[in-house]
Amino acid sequence: MLTEGDIVARVQHVTVTRLRVWVRAGWIRPVAKAEQGFSEADMARAALIRDLEDKLGFDEDQVPVLLNLIDQIHGLRAELKTMLEALEDLPEDVRATVKSRIAKNTPRKSR
Amino acid sequence: MADDLYSVLGVARTAKAEDIAKAYRKLAKKLHPDLNPGDKAAEDKFKQVTAAYDILGDTEKRRRYDLGEIDASGQERPQRRYYREYAGGEDGARYRSTAGYEDLGGFSDLFGDLFGRGGGARGAGGQRFAMRGQDAQYRLEIDFLEAVNGAKKRITLPDGGTLDVTIPAGVEEGQVMRLKGKGMPGLGGAEAGDALVEILVRPHPVFKREGEDILVEVPITFDEAVLGGKVEVPTINGNVSATVPAGTNTGKTLRLKGRGIKRKNGKVGDELVKLTVVMPDRIDDDLKTFAEEWRDKHRYDPRRKLREQA
Repeated sequence: MLTEGDIVARVQHVTVTRLRVWVRAGWIRPVAKAEQGFSEADMARAALIRDLEDKLGFDEDQVPVLLNLIDQIHGLRAELKTMLEALEDLPEDVRATVKSRIAKNTPRKSR
Repeated sequence: MADDLYSVLGVARTAKAEDIAKAYRKLAKKLHPDLNPGDKAAEDKFKQVTAAYDILGDTEKRRRYDLGEIDASGQERPQRRYYREYAGGEDGARYRSTAGYEDLGGFSDLFGDLFGRGGGARGAGGQRFAMRGQDAQYRLEIDFLEAVNGAKKRITLPDGGTLDVTIPAGVEEGQVMRLKGKGMPGLGGAEAGDALVEILVRPHPVFKREGEDILVEVPITFDEAVLGGKVEVPTINGNVSATVPAGTNTGKTLRLKGRGIKRKNGKVGDELVKLTVVMPDRIDDDLKTFAEEWRDKHRYDPRRKLREQA
């Protein structure tokens, strides 16, 4: 587990104040409420928010919208991955059936 | 360690190797400890400059520093791990959101069955959009003495709930008190907003305030003004006895030390008592006769200065 101090020391340009604002806003949700509550994912997320604000120039009204979309994408990706893994386990002929169904239902890209 | 080695040496990022060497030698000559005996600041600066040159003066190290592979102290900088590397893993699961399948119609049931969702869209261990609750704004009108001495007040909210507010001694008109977490509830596990309570202070008929000091005007009689004496003076903590010196004029101010506002941070104000000499309602013959006799023997001129300066 990482502390506030660890995050601030390891993610450049993130101050304790900034980090607390993000936690208060619910953008970063430490696992534990106590001070030593941050994970590696939280730290990477802090770096992401810093990039959104500092490097990409989004303001604080826009950041939650982006985070929401990013979180949705990762949610969908995780479920897609689960589905694909499940497909992988199916017998060859069932996989072939699914594959042809998918091909049939995929709209052609218009050029 | 300084963040940017180029600024330590005072050169541009694009500086040529010989310019960097030149800049270093110039600084080193100025800062070398043997040339500045006893100057600790110069020694520290010299070390900094030398450390910077150790990296920037070495073509290979400079290249790696420019690329961010090593930091300003020459340490290997750990490769950044991006959020996406965690987002798909166990650690990132609590951020993943799968809100928004409702429009998939009949298929959403399938998803629901597959991923163990209840009626609403919710991912495996994922959370929906989280947002801190809104701040709620209130106004609270309190008496002057409550503001000065502190008080506990209860606000009744529009929804019938209540909010207890502890007013610290010395609160000022217009001051806004923030009650953490007493605002609107947050969404998706984020914390509640704060309640912001603006304080309005009703004026007092006798007391006024200036910072931590309390101002009060106290009338004294003609004889108290001449002879001096003890008078009873109201303070924010009840009456006290104050000494009026003999020969007091209207406008004279007494300072009662420590009788003002006592702040929690230890700051204590005074009470300033402005005295006003008040004639009796009726001037009787005794006073009239006395004044006439006194005038004839003790003429004085309080307006001389006024005439000279006008």
